[in-house]
Amino acid sequence: MTAIQIIFILSALVILGAAVMVVSTRNLVHAALYLVATLFGVAVLYAILDATFLTVVQVVVYIGAIAILFIFAIMLTRREMRDQGEQLNKGWGAAALIGLLTFGGLFMLLNNWRGVNATAAALPSGFDGVVELGTALVSTDAFVLPFEVASVLLLAALIGAVYVAGTKK
Amino acid sequence: MNPTTFAAILPEVLLLVLGILILVVEPFWKEKDRRNTGWLTFGGLLAILVVSLLAGRPGEPTSVFGGTIRFDWLGFFFKMLFIFAAAMTSLFMMDVEKLGRRGESYLLLLASTLGMNLMASASDLVMLYLAIETTSIPLYVLSGFIVDDEKSTESGFKYLLFGAMTSAVMLYGFSLLFGFTGTTNLYEIAAAVAGAQVSTVTALGVIALVLVGIGFKVSLVPFHFWAPDTYEGAPTPVAGFLSTASKAAGFAVLVRLFFIAFAKNGLAPDWTTGLAALATLTMTLGNLVAMTQTNIKRLLAYSSIAHAGYVMIGVVAFSNLGVTSVVFYLIAYILTNLAAFGIVAVFSRVAGSDKISDYAGLSRRSPWLAMAMLVAFLSLAGMPPFGGFVAKVFVFAAAVKSDLVWLAVVGVINSILGVYYYLTVLKVVYLYRMEGEAEESHPIPLTRPYGIALVVLSLGVLLIGTLFAPWFSASGAAALNLF
Amino acid sequence: MIPLSWYLILAAALFSVGLFGVLARKNAIAILLGVELMLNAVNINLVAFWRYGSLASIAGQVFAIIVFAVAAAEVAVGLGLVISVYRRRNTVVADELDLMKW
Repeated sequence: MTAIQIIFILSALVILGAAVMVVSTRNLVHAALYLVATLFGVAVLYAILDATFLTVVQVVVYIGAIAILFIFAIMLTRREMRDQGEQLNKGWGAAALIGLLTFGGLFMLLNNWRGVNATAAALPSGFDGVVELGTALVSTDAFVLPFEVASVLLLAALIGAVYVAGTKK
Repeated sequence: MNPTTFAAILPEVLLLVLGILILVVEPFWKEKDRRNTGWLTFGGLLAILVVSLLAGRPGEPTSVFGGTIRFDWLGFFFKMLFIFAAAMTSLFMMDVEKLGRRGESYLLLLASTLGMNLMASASDLVMLYLAIETTSIPLYVLSGFIVDDEKSTESGFKYLLFGAMTSAVMLYGFSLLFGFTGTTNLYEIAAAVAGAQVSTVTALGVIALVLVGIGFKVSLVPFHFWAPDTYEGAPTPVAGFLSTASKAAGFAVLVRLFFIAFAKNGLAPDWTTGLAALATLTMTLGNLVAMTQTNIKRLLAYSSIAHAGYVMIGVVAFSNLGVTSVVFYLIAYILTNLAAFGIVAVFSRVAGSDKISDYAGLSRRSPWLAMAMLVAFLSLAGMPPFGGFVAKVFVFAAAVKSDLVWLAVVGVINSILGVYYYLTVLKVVYLYRMEGEAEESHPIPLTRPYGIALVVLSLGVLLIGTLFAPWFSASGAAALNLF
Repeated sequence: MIPLSWYLILAAALFSVGLFGVLARKNAIAILLGVELMLNAVNINLVAFWRYGSLASIAGQVFAIIVFAVAAAEVAVGLGLVISVYRRRNTVVADELDLMKW
């Protein structure tokens, strides 16, 4: 077992352990903090996968903005924060079954695909993922359109969120 | 950027310009003038429609922007439909309390329309996913737009929760599709699937995941739970937009995904069987539950679920005629259902109720509104000479031609079920009287925007039902472009 | 070296946990937390497929970036709506979100 495999297994344990806590803990603030732990684990995976830019984005945007937004929302709905009662609905048994079946199904699906045991080629020398990504995002022969539309979406979401959350009577 | 590339996104660019115009102009208007934002949106959308028809027509199908979108008649046709539906919706929105005087609502409508346009033309998974979300997210807000109405907020909230969940499942399917084929371009994915890089089982698994998200958008059973609750609570014009344009956009994606990406390698018989079962379920459940409804918006919600089932018949037929009939059905359906929801909006604005029993005496309170309702509901029921009739005939014909006689029979039986509850509503409108009151003293005034929209839509429904040949050949041209 | 299957199975597990959270949780914010887990599973998939597939196509990473943007928009709107519902109802428990309502 190589060092990189050990790092992978550790982060996988953190990711899954924290994820299970996210969906099962009764205290919502704790759930949000466990989400942060999961997100950190995923960031480590991105680093192992040589996706440096995504690692940074994961920490800055996902943890720094999205997870914090969750914590704000939980605090703004204060009554829920103190709610220590049962947090799962009555159908949680069925939900657990669906979750297990989904995992089983996906596992079979992946096993059925012959590329599943592929190994990664070494990065060619001089390969700069950030440059590639940046170029792809602004090139008219690649993904400039999604990039621009994403900004429209964010603007619309901003206006919408400000309206529904901000309007007083 | 060469002219074709620009023409391919002309409607989207213009929509964006209109949105920015509203964003800039609206704050300078005084409170009492804010309703004019609706006229601005309507006029702008009409102008976009005209300009696009003149300058943005596609030629031979081409891939532009690195293959992220495809510039063809199918996409163009759907785009024009969405812009038209948005124009009508903006008229319906103008006189709705707490919706019509807010610039934000029109802006969100435009953002959502932009997303739909891209859904219809996207040929890349990245673009497609983003387009679907750009459509949905503004609609979540619009459904929950009336912040001091309990039902509206809850409607937006439910729509969001279902939407977020189903789109995450669909996205997982997209990620597997990308992994298994090594590309995000739909046409390259098609080649990879045809080249048997992906086994049948794997492909069917991916299809199932993707179908969750699309099933949500077009409200197929069993992903329809959100529809009645959301339609009931959402502002009525928004519900109308959801049940027409948003659904049609879902079908545009469905057709492109299934007919392009999953068509090769003998996959089609497998998924058509599954979709035929879903179509049967959707029609039957939608119609049966619609019969028991007492709220007109819930009735229309279940009816729109049933209509998703009818459209699905055309998809299952898996032929050129099938796609043609889908496109044609959607034209007729968009016109008809927009009119139906518009009438409900007019009525509930004055009467303050969505109960079917409160429609008693409507034919005396407002003969013109009752007339519009007659046209819309008979068309929904599939009666000649209205658009809904011709549309149903084409869909069933497509099924019969593809040797799916049983499915056509199921569709016909369901149409008969449908006639029952549509006529029940019309019976209340025309035969029942308001209890102990003179109807003449409770008129239902039509404001100008409602009048314009309802006249346009009713005439449209009649026009499509009688002079259907040009529409049908246009649908056929769009369908041919898909392949 | 780590085989691709490790990432994919981890992502499948994370996705299933998230799906369980979405279906089983009562509280709307907790449901949205579950959705975030699902989206992260997707992103693990995308980045792993990119690294183990052909490096020439950066599409996997672009897709992941777009997922970030959409997730941010969705969470902003979602939490806005949650707060809006909370103002009206003083609760964000999605109990009435009964999946089996016909």
